[in-house]
Amino acid sequence: MRPEERKGVVARRRDQFPVGMRGLAVDDDPVCLKVLETLLLRCQYHVTTTNQAAIALKMLRENRDMFDLVISDVHMPDMDGFKLLELVGLEMDLPVIMLSVNGETKTVLKGITHGACDYLLKPVRIEELRNIWQHVIRRKFGNRDRGNIDIYEECNKPPNADSDHVHGHVSCVSPDQSGRPSKKRKEYCSEEEDEGEGNTQEIDDPSAPKKPRVVWSVELHRKFVAAVNQLGIDKAVPKRILELMNVEKLTRENVASHLQKYRLYLKRLSAVASQQVSIVAALGGRDPFLHMGAFEGLQGYQAFTSSSALSSFTSHGLLNSPRNNPASLGTQGVPASKSIQTVNGSHTLSHSISDANKYNISLPGSQHGNLGQGLATSLGQTQMQQKWIHEETDDLSTILSGNVLANGMSSTLQNVSPLLPQELVECTQAKIGTQPSVRTTSVNSEHLERPVGVSSSLLDSHVSQQSTVPLSGFSASGLLIHGSFNNSCPTKLGGTSSACAPARSSNDLMVARETKAGASSFGGTMLLPPDMEQKYLNFGGGNDFKQKLDERGADNLIFDWNSVASSQLPSNIGAHHSVSQRWNNSNSNRSNIGARMIGQTSSNASTVMPQMKTDLFISGDMLMPKNVSDLSIPKLQSELSSSSCSFDGLLNSIVKVEKDDVTFSDDLGCGDFYSLGACI
Amino acid sequence: MAAAALRDQLTALLSSMFTQGLVDEQFQQLQMLQDEGGTPGFVSEVVTLFCDDADRIINEIASLLEQPVVNFDKVDAYVHQLKGSSASVGAQKVKFTCMQFRQFCQDKSREGCLMALAVVRNDFYDLRNKFQTMLQLEQQIQAYDPKQQ
Repeated sequence: MRPEERKGVVARRRDQFPVGMRGLAVDDDPVCLKVLETLLLRCQYHVTTTNQAAIALKMLRENRDMFDLVISDVHMPDMDGFKLLELVGLEMDLPVIMLSVNGETKTVLKGITHGACDYLLKPVRIEELRNIWQHVIRRKFGNRDRGNIDIYEECNKPPNADSDHVHGHVSCVSPDQSGRPSKKRKEYCSEEEDEGEGNTQEIDDPSAPKKPRVVWSVELHRKFVAAVNQLGIDKAVPKRILELMNVEKLTRENVASHLQKYRLYLKRLSAVASQQVSIVAALGGRDPFLHMGAFEGLQGYQAFTSSSALSSFTSHGLLNSPRNNPASLGTQGVPASKSIQTVNGSHTLSHSISDANKYNISLPGSQHGNLGQGLATSLGQTQMQQKWIHEETDDLSTILSGNVLANGMSSTLQNVSPLLPQELVECTQAKIGTQPSVRTTSVNSEHLERPVGVSSSLLDSHVSQQSTVPLSGFSASGLLIHGSFNNSCPTKLGGTSSACAPARSSNDLMVARETKAGASSFGGTMLLPPDMEQKYLNFGGGNDFKQKLDERGADNLIFDWNSVASSQLPSNIGAHHSVSQRWNNSNSNRSNIGARMIGQTSSNASTVMPQMKTDLFISGDMLMPKNVSDLSIPKLQSELSSSSCSFDGLLNSIVKVEKDDVTFSDDLGCGDFYSLGACI
Repeated sequence: MAAAALRDQLTALLSSMFTQGLVDEQFQQLQMLQDEGGTPGFVSEVVTLFCDDADRIINEIASLLEQPVVNFDKVDAYVHQLKGSSASVGAQKVKFTCMQFRQFCQDKSREGCLMALAVVRNDFYDLRNKFQTMLQLEQQIQAYDPKQQ
């Protein structure tokens, strides 16, 4: 075959990889080389041979694009195969397969540690050579694959967990792009990842010889984690991490290697957890009781993730709740048809919708620049359908989890809203329990959790949904309420509705919650009408946080909860909570709603730390035109100073309302607060 | 007619080499590679290479062992290379002998090495004779082939 013809063959073969893969075979032994060459040709590879490592290196240096793979003997007189391996690894990114008749573990290990992608023993069998093209694929697409690390997880990694460095590190997407942000985020992620990996790969040379091993002690790892969190996992590149860590004798390579392991670790962590919940969900099946168990599993999962996260991400507010989203979906046993993740401004919105409900959750709203710098919100919505006799129950579970990092505050919002049975033919009992609770963990790292548990029982079917909703850790505008404004509101909504409604039953539950803190503003509105395809989650400017749960079932339940904590001066902080609740029932319904809210507000300047705990039990029975409304405050843990400069207390109120009127509205103003406190 | 007899002779030779353990599956694979891959002369080329190279290596080793101070590492390197080439060609017996040879090298035993060298040389010469017979038979068969066609 003439050279031209051979070239033509090679060119043609290039189109059908691995046919025509260009390999360079290096062996000083002519017999081995000849056999190897023949075998490689038999595999339809394009082979170039040389019996000297030095010549091989020269060829590679001059035509580094001409080869896809290097196969080298280990023992060669002019240059040790390991040396060649090192140099090839250092200078060019080519997979190198080592070849030796010596199969001692030590030698093989040496080859692997020097960066050989494979180690073959002589005599090489053609079966082995037929597969070596995989190393080329691995090498070429390895970086890209690594870049494709689950976008979901990448997005869910805390954009910035270090509360001290919030500004400027949180990736932002406009809140209004509720539909598109996920894609944008994905691109963003992959770009970031590619970039990061590019840097990593550049310096993380696998063949980097004999560098002093770095022992990643706990202290060192802690610094590393702190640096990564400061940068944000997405933007953490080894160089910057190294700068932040400021540790002597630590190289970029060390950091890069550790960063890769760390990312893999994070990935593995979430994979294991979600797998566990999937198992629980699989066991759950359609049995509502088991669903409840599944939710308990979810709770356990959350506890698992948070604990593990705490162990690994010490002292930074880890946004672990977004990871719960797939778990929650799995719990429902319904595959999510759509998963949207957005990052807007300081919001990371993860949105998962089950197939039946095609509604969007958006995060419109302006946000003041000085608060809520980092908010990661993850919404998971699942719907579970079950038919029970002639009744159809649609359960919608929305888990809204967010992480707000603002001025040294981190908060996570997670909300579960159940969708009550949309159509109840016969007597139906629905029990809705919603348990939002917001906790403030510490002064520096304000972590607000708001677990919302919703349990609805349809006759025998009993579905319990619980989730922690870290919500609205907002720092009131740093000027007025200098420092931190902690609002921890564990809220319990317990509702039991038994409807003997023969016809259709629509249950609308709207929970509007508004929180105002003086000039500082944090607002969010969440509308969850499942059937309207309109769900808004507003974290708007001002101090408004509105949460509306629109629930449709046998009952119309509009639950407005307006909590306003207004402070005009650092020394003057008032809290205003207004709970407006409207219970609309067309037929005889019996509903119990228990709401408990714990609010905690702290201000450094004025030392305002109100803690409010409110329990609302609303029970309405439409058959009986009798409504009982009861508002009580069980205990006030700390004193509530009427000077309104500071109140550090726990307000626990239980409101029981039974009214004829379908609308129940209650406003708790500052005065109410004080009066309540005075009552106790 | 003569060609068929030669083929039978060649087949008998190869099978005897295999049963005697002179060659192993690797050599059979090389033959298959030649027959199926359309690379005529491949086995003879490899065998010739092996014979020349092994002969050279054995002579090198012999000269090294004659030195007043034997560089056993160097000897070991040569033995290693011989082992590699014999493994590649499928010269099983030589390969096994080389493995024993390497043990003497690591023990730095001149006597052991000299004894092993004698064994290797003997095995190699034995194999080389067979190989040469084989190559001659193949050449004769080749010479008949065009006439048959």
